[in-house]
Amino acid sequence: MKRVFGVALGILTAIGGFVDIGDLVANSLVGARFGLALAWATVLGVIGICLFAEMSGRVAAVSGRATFDLVRERLGPRVGLANLAASLLVTLLTFSAEVGGIALALELASSVNYLLWVPVAGLALWLVIWRVKFSVLENVAGVLGLALVVFGVALWQLHPDWSQLVQQAVSPRNPPGEGLPTYFYYAIALFGAAMTPYEVFFFSSGGVEERWSAKDIVTSRMNVFVGFPLGGLLSLAIAACAAVVLMPRQITVDTLGQVGLPVAVALGKLGLAFAILGFVAATFGAALETGLSCGYSVAQYFGWQWGKYVRPRDAARFQLVVLVCLVVAAGTVLTTIDPITVTEYSLVFSAVALPLTYLPILVIANDPDYMGARVNGRVANLLGTVFLVIILVASLAAIPLMLATRAGQ
Amino acid sequence: MRASDLLGRPVLDATGRRIGLVTDLRCVKEAGPDAAWGVLRLESLVVDERQIGSRLGYDRHQRSPALLRGIMRRLHGRSTVVPWSRVAGWSRDEVRLR
Amino acid sequence: MTTVDIHLQLLDRQVLDRNGLLVCKVDDIELHEGPDGVPFVTAILVGPRASGPRLGGRLGRWLTALAWRLAEPPGDAPPRIPFGRVTAVHSAVDVDRTRAELAVDPLEGWVERHVIGRLPGSGHAG
Repeated sequence: MKRVFGVALGILTAIGGFVDIGDLVANSLVGARFGLALAWATVLGVIGICLFAEMSGRVAAVSGRATFDLVRERLGPRVGLANLAASLLVTLLTFSAEVGGIALALELASSVNYLLWVPVAGLALWLVIWRVKFSVLENVAGVLGLALVVFGVALWQLHPDWSQLVQQAVSPRNPPGEGLPTYFYYAIALFGAAMTPYEVFFFSSGGVEERWSAKDIVTSRMNVFVGFPLGGLLSLAIAACAAVVLMPRQITVDTLGQVGLPVAVALGKLGLAFAILGFVAATFGAALETGLSCGYSVAQYFGWQWGKYVRPRDAARFQLVVLVCLVVAAGTVLTTIDPITVTEYSLVFSAVALPLTYLPILVIANDPDYMGARVNGRVANLLGTVFLVIILVASLAAIPLMLATRAGQ
Repeated sequence: MRASDLLGRPVLDATGRRIGLVTDLRCVKEAGPDAAWGVLRLESLVVDERQIGSRLGYDRHQRSPALLRGIMRRLHGRSTVVPWSRVAGWSRDEVRLR
Repeated sequence: MTTVDIHLQLLDRQVLDRNGLLVCKVDDIELHEGPDGVPFVTAILVGPRASGPRLGGRLGRWLTALAWRLAEPPGDAPPRIPFGRVTAVHSAVDVDRTRAELAVDPLEGWVERHVIGRLPGSGHAG
């Protein structure tokens, strides 16, 4: 019974923890502009992250090594350092976006300017990282994030033309007035929102934090193959709500309030309250993950002791890196740069940085010295190779498309 | 000496022709009096045309995925193993063979 | 006869201490020539004085020079772990001393004493 509860909790955490500020903004923005014509990009991203997370979780469970350990080993110290620099920059950018997201969500809840919430959010984040047990931190944020299910409820309540929604999704065509480059730019943004690099650092490091061994592979797989797709469904619900409520009124999404508008329309104040709770939980949880991931990647490259499973004193430099990154992230938000803009940039750069971490994981998951009998099977390798190509294409196309469309104007 | 003194250095044969770059130092593990795990004696140098991606492991035991293996085989060209006894001398710029 | 490839199987691996704590990476390997002229591995070298040259280029030279100057005591021999201390080589390298006994990484201790250790609650695992 206890085992079932553990597995269920893991799945719920995976669902609620799937959505972060990037998913909220990207899906809502795209839904309002393109309807569900880009749903395939989200679906592709969800399949990709499932594949990627399963491999890195399995590697962590079998070898006890987390992602950045392996990056340096396989790519060498020189390329590994370049990889670290790029990944850290992107993760830090995402961290800033998440901190901004927390502040915006709290502003929605309280009508107090978001900038005033930044120091509060920063302090709360640091205290949680410092004192709260890893599994508690993950599970609470994840379960509270389930409040975002309200988007599914709202969609139901709106009585949309389901056949029309399905039509949009299965015959993906760019709507009139939107160029093809813009279409693909947003496809990459959605893909980057689902396949975030930090998720893999966090998932594999978390596996080591929780002392996974080979017998935990099954649990890890359930989290990934049940939890992540359901989380992806939430992303689609957010897009669909925007498609149904915002698109006909030609409302473009550039605030968090507009992301929640469909829920307010469908379910009134109570629904919006749930949505805001979901926003706070999702962004706070994601901020914890990105903050810790900054520390994980630096410490794992250099070989320092890392993790919350030891006392802070015993992982001093890791804790210092997390603290410094938190200050930088909060500071970035305090420069009054629009957090939604930061979020959009973080998605594009995530797509660019994705091959850096994906390739080593794919290689190690096939290494018999590391994995013994648990190397990738044929299906995993076939999918893995296909996604390697997709990721490389997205990575190379991201910046040119961003420049060509002036970030989606 | 250090492993990094040899790795990546060009290898020249007795006539001065360049064979490739040192991509690995192959050792034999033996038992030893002071060693809990073993003593590693340098037996040979692994020499490849190019160094890129040599640590992904496709020259040795890594077999999948097939696409990467194909790409790596192409990139690395000929791979030779040179016994240490054939090394006449080495410096910061090169390794010379007998 | 087991063969071990230094670049593929030893370099840049994580070093674990006797209690399983993370110590450092294998930044370089030191070899000495034996009486028969055949080199054998004598130590694991740790820290920027060891990894600097491996980074190559201007960055590597700059980093190594900086590390020399900041070293305590100054000099160009990086901290080392004698290879006899190694008890296993798998996905990481196990060593039979504790982190404190190995003393290859003074910076960690410094950060612990002067920064993290000063914050309340640093002695309790989260």
